[in-house]
Amino acid sequence: MTRTILFFSSAILISQTEPVKDIHQNNPRVWALTNAMIHTEPGDSIKDATLVIRDGKIDKIGRYIQIPLDAYEIDMEGAHIYSGFIDAWSQVKQDEKTTSPDSHWNKKIRPEYRAKDDAKFKDKELRALHEIGMTAAHIVPEKGIFKGKSDLINLDEEMLSLSKNISQVIEFKASRWSERGYPNSLLGVIAVIRQTMLDAEWYDNSMRILKKYPQENEPIPINNPLQEIADFKINQRPMLFMTKEEHAAMRALSICKEFNLNPWLLASGYEYRRIREIKEQGPFIIIPLDFPEKPKVNDPYIAMQYSNEQLKHWDMAPDNIKKLFDAGIRFSFTSSTLKKKPDFRKNLQKIIDRGLPQDVALAALTTYPAKAMGLEKILGKIQPGYIANLVVTDGNYFNPKSRVTSLWISGKKHFISDRHKINLVGNWDMQIKNNSYEIEFTRPKSGQKGKSSKSAISKRKLEGKIHIENESITLKEIKLYDQNIEFSVDGTLLEINATLAFKGMIVKDKITGTAYDGANKYDFNAKRTLKLKDKSRQKAVNSELALYYPEGVYGLDRDLLSPNAVLIDNATIWTCGPMGIVEDWDILFVNGKIDKIAPDISVPMGSALIIDATGKYVTPGLIDCHSHSAASSINEGAQAVTAEVRIRDVLYSDDINIYRQLGGGLTIANILHGSANPIGGQNAVIKLKWGSKPNDLIYKNAPQGIKFALGENVKQANWVGNGRYPQTRMGVEQVIRDAFRAAQDYRHRHKTYNRNSKAKKKIIPPRIDLELEALAEILEGTRLLHCHSYRQDEIWMLTRIAEDFGFKIATFQHVLEGYKVAERIAEHGAGASTFSDWWQYKYEVIDAIPYNGTLMANNNVLVSFNSDDAELARRLNTEAMKAVKYGGLSEEEALKFVTINPAKQLGIDQWVGSLEEGKDADFVIWDGPPLSIYSKVQETWIEGTRYWSVDENKRLEERDKLERESLIQKILSTSSKLSGKVMKPNSETPNHNHNCRIDDYQLMGNQ
Amino acid sequence: MRFFSLIVFSSLLFSNNQIPGMDQKRPILLKGGILHTVSGDILEEYDILFAEGRIVTIDMQIQPSPETDVYEIYGKHVVPGFIAAYTRIGLTEISAVKQTNDHSEIGEINPNVRANVAYNPDSDLIPVTRSNGVLIVNSTPSSGRIPGQSSIMELDGWTWEDATIKHPAALNINWPSMYIDYSDKKNNEKKQRDEYNKKVRELDELVLNVRAYYHRKNAKERKAEHKQKTDLRLESMIPFIIHNEPVHIKANDIRQIEAAIDWSKKHKLDITIIGARDAWINPELFVKNNVPVIILGVQVTPRRRFEPIHITYKMPAILFEAGVHFCISLDPGYPMDGHVRTLPDEVMRAVTWGLPKNQALKSITLSAAEILGIDDRVGSLEPGKDATFFISNSEPLTQTTNPVKAFIQGRELDLSDRQKNLWEKYKEKYRRLGNLDD
Repeated sequence: MTRTILFFSSAILISQTEPVKDIHQNNPRVWALTNAMIHTEPGDSIKDATLVIRDGKIDKIGRYIQIPLDAYEIDMEGAHIYSGFIDAWSQVKQDEKTTSPDSHWNKKIRPEYRAKDDAKFKDKELRALHEIGMTAAHIVPEKGIFKGKSDLINLDEEMLSLSKNISQVIEFKASRWSERGYPNSLLGVIAVIRQTMLDAEWYDNSMRILKKYPQENEPIPINNPLQEIADFKINQRPMLFMTKEEHAAMRALSICKEFNLNPWLLASGYEYRRIREIKEQGPFIIIPLDFPEKPKVNDPYIAMQYSNEQLKHWDMAPDNIKKLFDAGIRFSFTSSTLKKKPDFRKNLQKIIDRGLPQDVALAALTTYPAKAMGLEKILGKIQPGYIANLVVTDGNYFNPKSRVTSLWISGKKHFISDRHKINLVGNWDMQIKNNSYEIEFTRPKSGQKGKSSKSAISKRKLEGKIHIENESITLKEIKLYDQNIEFSVDGTLLEINATLAFKGMIVKDKITGTAYDGANKYDFNAKRTLKLKDKSRQKAVNSELALYYPEGVYGLDRDLLSPNAVLIDNATIWTCGPMGIVEDWDILFVNGKIDKIAPDISVPMGSALIIDATGKYVTPGLIDCHSHSAASSINEGAQAVTAEVRIRDVLYSDDINIYRQLGGGLTIANILHGSANPIGGQNAVIKLKWGSKPNDLIYKNAPQGIKFALGENVKQANWVGNGRYPQTRMGVEQVIRDAFRAAQDYRHRHKTYNRNSKAKKKIIPPRIDLELEALAEILEGTRLLHCHSYRQDEIWMLTRIAEDFGFKIATFQHVLEGYKVAERIAEHGAGASTFSDWWQYKYEVIDAIPYNGTLMANNNVLVSFNSDDAELARRLNTEAMKAVKYGGLSEEEALKFVTINPAKQLGIDQWVGSLEEGKDADFVIWDGPPLSIYSKVQETWIEGTRYWSVDENKRLEERDKLERESLIQKILSTSSKLSGKVMKPNSETPNHNHNCRIDDYQLMGNQ
Repeated sequence: MRFFSLIVFSSLLFSNNQIPGMDQKRPILLKGGILHTVSGDILEEYDILFAEGRIVTIDMQIQPSPETDVYEIYGKHVVPGFIAAYTRIGLTEISAVKQTNDHSEIGEINPNVRANVAYNPDSDLIPVTRSNGVLIVNSTPSSGRIPGQSSIMELDGWTWEDATIKHPAALNINWPSMYIDYSDKKNNEKKQRDEYNKKVRELDELVLNVRAYYHRKNAKERKAEHKQKTDLRLESMIPFIIHNEPVHIKANDIRQIEAAIDWSKKHKLDITIIGARDAWINPELFVKNNVPVIILGVQVTPRRRFEPIHITYKMPAILFEAGVHFCISLDPGYPMDGHVRTLPDEVMRAVTWGLPKNQALKSITLSAAEILGIDDRVGSLEPGKDATFFISNSEPLTQTTNPVKAFIQGRELDLSDRQKNLWEKYKEKYRRLGNLDD
């Protein structure tokens, strides 16, 4: 009966202003749904209740309410009714819009765009969403970095907006490396977001001033995009960041913190790995209900393509949502990433199995998103006054076997499916002509080709047989539609000498109808005798794996050894400080600092960890003055000047190279921007604190710095470049001078403005420009300049620029022709951080010599050796030895090339770089002379904590091997038909080496 | 009795051009050195006599004939010239400058191209490389599936013909990739596997064609029109396919290694695996099939995130313990062609992680000679072999060792190089500025 009610109208609600096209349509809009189980809100339901819908809204609800006279009653016995579900993410495909003159200069910044403008749902898409109970969708824009605004709309043809401008959607989306478009790296994207936030604040402020004091100011051009962002910020409307892994979430949150934004995240599924950091700001999270597909480990060699971290993620990802909930984070779900929408409900069941309360799952589909979107008073619950968006099912929604039978969207009914799905399979007792026969219906598996697109069962062909004693007759031409069944049978055995055509109607477990042989009709009926039992479902169980920091091999599973005091006894200590090398001495570390170095130190029993170092050597932790490890993005190359980008924004604490390099005695690394442009980005000096979060890697004592570059790379000489200025060393010089002049002008403008406090109120302030800020800081001496350089001419040139502008260059990096102009470098006072013996790889290194380090050192230049390479960084001590081989430096001086000298170059020698009382307890214990290739690192300590040791390394190695084996075993023994996210195997990740211009996209195997 | 002046070198006379050594005219006796014979023990205070470019005698006390030049080298080490078994020396000058590169012919199948004909004997890489004791290299073409034939060169000579020790050294094959890239949206797993199979099938067909070509060429067919026309590619492969000359297959992934060994067994080829980064996973494979390995680089990062962090350092020891016949060279791609001189560093690192020191020395001398099929001439200090060795003040496998003298077939080398010359030039600059004393 319910099926007969159909609507044809398409414009009830929004047509109030639109003229009628033919004749008026006024369908009745008052309904009473009776005898249903009504889930009024998560945790609350009413049995046998009545629900009255009036004009698109819920009018009344209760067990004993009077049905209004004008309401038409629909009996809903056996049905469950829920508030309509919200799909919290649905990306709208978008055509490239023509830009207006008022658009932002950067095409990727289009916050004024509204996704609804292009919203379109195909019938098939709508139907798929309806079948899983979705009545509304949060539609979001597709393109750009600041993508535009989202709406919550009803999921029907009318697409009524329940609320507009819900969030501003942001993605860390870079152009490809080959493209000209800025930004072409994650580094640049984050810089663009930060600059745009500042610009929006400035614009909003400026417009207010301009409005008030139009005569005092030159008008500034209208900029809707900036106004849009400012409005979002001021009104604390959500900024919705798309994330692909947990680091992206942390990056998004740190931007929100900096600019005081209301953070929303589109989840990656990896949140559980850094939940403590993520929960801090309590973001609202939209979770694609999608879990990783089984890694393809059947082939042992393909299994090797997966890292442990991925194998673990497969097991742990379905626990993510429960963990988020336990952490107090609120969220909603989306089916958008699922190829097969019915998997949405299977995955829901999975997470409920794994401990998410069913009420919470319901809330995530209804009340949580309603509240987050500010619609908690009209959406998400079944209460008088709420919008009549309803889901009707024939059983508990959270049992995937129950079916969504209809949806109500703004009080309008949408038929989805019959309430009871007919399943004939099983045995039936048929009565015909007073005889009784047994019919058996089956759906054999054989002959099945390929994968079925929906559930496997429905695609298999129904077969049937009538059993008569020892014989059986096959049912032919079985046809099933709605509640009707037809088949034909040779009647001989039924004592009718003809072929019989059966036609019947199925109601629950009964079939009644007639059989017809062309002449006679015989009534028949059948009753089910044996129902196919549901296979008992295996409940999903929680992962038993422990989280490591960082996740994957060698990740920490317990606190590091960090005693209050450590006493090393009887060591040969290469202090790299004024004490030189001392043999059979002791060194005491207290509270992460060096307390004392003396021939004999005694401490009260038990007050310090005592390490007997007889025959062993202790040195300061090694320092690498040029590294590209531990960062997700290295080069912003779309512009010649990108001083605004910051490595600190993209630090990647999961980089296995951190751990490997600790094993080579490295404790500090200078993570530099690449050399794609004359003025690159800001560097980050980190301590190799394996296991900590990205921000905790940053060495706070280190002054800020920046990377410049000269020569072949910046003029794009060695690959097909994008034709960017400059293409010669002449142009490089001009670009740098121009940038500094601009920075001077910029500072001057700000200073003038700040001095004039009276005018301040009336005059539009100069805009904050992150690029020029960084450059001005160089001029002011608060930002160290590290410059990639090779040839003597360019080295000389930059010293002259620096002197013209009155600052000092901190280091020349690579500086392979530094030996030709050592006296200039020394006179200027710059450091030189070079390779030990690299040469031959490009034309500008044709005169590279391995004597470079020694020769510069002999000419009073402060010299260090660096790696610029993930492998070299784990053997800097033997690199230093090359200064002994080539040019005959003393071993003691050579070790300084990788300890105190780089510390001085980075401006951190006050705290690190040598073993002196009061300095950080960063040290390495070696089993032999520290420069010898035959020596091995025994332990590496940072600030009094042991980050690497031979024993611990062995333990982790064994742990990970076993874990890997048992995970592969578990995957092999798990059968799952669920499709999911495919993980791209990432065990083999490329190394950063030497050319300083690796592509971001190669780095993160993860995504 | 005369003495070597054991100063590294002392003049700027030669500028950038090191003049090849002169043929040995008179026998030379080196007295009292520490001889690293490699084939046998380290002989302390032994004499070594060589004449006409060959080692004549090694003994405790050798009585020189009157025409013999005698030098005392007490306390100094005599070491067979190091052999870098896989390089592009002579075929490249500056990696980034296309004009200077001659190692990568266009196309996938180039079995006929020969490395030695493009070997530039005046390359600046040559003197720099031999400055660290590397006196012999295998120069190898490198691109495509069959890059060409490699040649074994000694790092001295006026012409490439002078410098060639052996050609062809081997036919080189780069085994096609078997990595399944699941992020490749255009090619699914099946397509990628098909692509791989196609590439191997092409190699199979090539072998078949070589056999058929050889057969027809040798058939006693009189009619001119039935005569097989020349095909340089097929013809060039006859020595390797028919006469079992060595084939070098570059394969790093364990899948590739297994496939390459199976393939070579099918075609009965004499192969060596180059690279073999995954060899540690199954070293028995090489022993069982009697396949030698040229390891490319010890000081490299592990391939996979989950591998033990020192696995690359340990691999030579693992192979040694399993009984694999191996030698050690460097990957020309990393750390670039110019770095062949760091060869000793690579094996020293392996010693730290378990390889016996004598084996380490062997892995860049005798083992390399054996694997390259030149052990009848070089690789050890033995009577009858070439007088190709260097003399140093310290043990060969010491980080700071710099050869002070070197001989190739008895010809004394000029051990200066472009880099030392530049060093001298700029030391002079700083002497004039008063910054340096010496």
